[in-house]
Amino acid sequence: MPLARRHYSALALLRARWAGSRYWRPLWTGRTLKDHYDVVIVGAGGHGLATAYHLARDHGIKRIAILEKRLVGYGNVGRNTTIVRSNYLLPENHYFYEDALRRWGTLSRDLNYNVMYSPRGVVDLAVSEDEIPAMARRGNALRLAGIDAELLDVAALERAYPQLAPRRVRRFPLAGALVQARGGTVRHDAVAWGYARAASALGVDIIEDCEVTGVRSHADVAEGVETTRGYVRAERILFATAGHTGMIGTMLGVPLPIETHLLQAMVSEPIKPFLDTVMVSVFPGHGETYLSQSDRGGLVMGGHLDGFPSYTREGTWDRMQDVVAGAVDLFPQLAGVKIVRQWAGTNDMTMDGSPIIDRCRYDNVFLNAGWCYGGFKTIPASGAACATLVATGTAPDLIKGYALSRFATGHLLDEPGYGPFPVRL
Amino acid sequence: MTSLSCPFCGVRELAEFAFHKTLPNAGDDPLSAVYLRINQVDDSHEYWQHVRGCRAWLKARRNPSTGEVLEMNLLGAVTS
Repeated sequence: MPLARRHYSALALLRARWAGSRYWRPLWTGRTLKDHYDVVIVGAGGHGLATAYHLARDHGIKRIAILEKRLVGYGNVGRNTTIVRSNYLLPENHYFYEDALRRWGTLSRDLNYNVMYSPRGVVDLAVSEDEIPAMARRGNALRLAGIDAELLDVAALERAYPQLAPRRVRRFPLAGALVQARGGTVRHDAVAWGYARAASALGVDIIEDCEVTGVRSHADVAEGVETTRGYVRAERILFATAGHTGMIGTMLGVPLPIETHLLQAMVSEPIKPFLDTVMVSVFPGHGETYLSQSDRGGLVMGGHLDGFPSYTREGTWDRMQDVVAGAVDLFPQLAGVKIVRQWAGTNDMTMDGSPIIDRCRYDNVFLNAGWCYGGFKTIPASGAACATLVATGTAPDLIKGYALSRFATGHLLDEPGYGPFPVRL
Repeated sequence: MTSLSCPFCGVRELAEFAFHKTLPNAGDDPLSAVYLRINQVDDSHEYWQHVRGCRAWLKARRNPSTGEVLEMNLLGAVTS
């Protein structure tokens, strides 16, 4: 029997003070793989863990297993730049992402685990006057939907973010910004750990080092999965495998509208606090940089996709240079700061830039995929909605637009607005 | 992967090349041709362009798990 988990509170801290270090228990307990489950979830990332948590908590499903090829949180949930926001243009997207942003606000309490949601604001900078109308349009669309957005001119930008010195002569002069004040950052590893802990406490079996190699079916119904630890029967199967969704499509014999690309991120050495928000800037024909400062002082930076399919999890030098050059263009005082870590994640890029949460191939096989570079920020909403789909068989309104069939019927959600390509540089 | 080899220009920096798309899934219907992709972990068929060089269109076969280029040909060239 797994040991009872400790509820985290000030009182618990005090008790632990007297009980000694043995008071605390592991966040989740390793369990043995059983041979039959109601729901098998493939992939112990943010979306898989959150879906398991909601299946157990909201829908009362008892026998759930999460099968993970490597380790909990080894993939993109631990590789992103921790930014959360809901400033998407299309209604199907901004209502969904807004649902996620609202859930981030209460998630620490729901999970009894501090995910360190920091609504420090997300500032989308415009580097030419021509970008302002598009920003105004996006901002107006958001405000009509009841989501906060504020358009700043250069004077307002200067008042709000003096460290940016918006009037300084620079290669890409600043023209204004669209700000979402409730956007910000969330401690990414804590999201994986918090969901794993909460799901485990509800009886979900989290099985690490267990790769799914095939799906067994009979009369067009999936019956279970072949794994490196043997065959597991399952009433329903959910694949939440992020960058490896293309492989899942190949395994199921269903070609998917997905290419896998790399997105890299990097962290600088710790420096004194100077940036209390998330800055995002797209430099036309040059690249993109988004940066924030972590509580430890390091600058967390990222940019565009590397630009071609890859599973290597190594970023290219060219893209790293773009990101760093963009950061130094925004803040010349960063020129001497060293990058201390750099990594990449594999992104399942769909052909319209929006996700897929739907059945796939079989009536009892589901796909939670195609998150492109926006998966982390949606985890709480995706978990709740996907659990409803898996438990009831009906997609809630919030994710009706994310059906796989939209590519056949033409009801695309082309958020980036450049047609059926994952990258247009 | 830091460079690619153009059949005209020889080995050049990766920054000179632009990836266009992976080859569509075999199938004549518009859905397959426009949206669906072949996803293989070790063999990717792709269109590239030497866009900041001779501007030739290229067809590549790469291993996306290692970055190794298996074949690089001019688009439309007869391959064995």
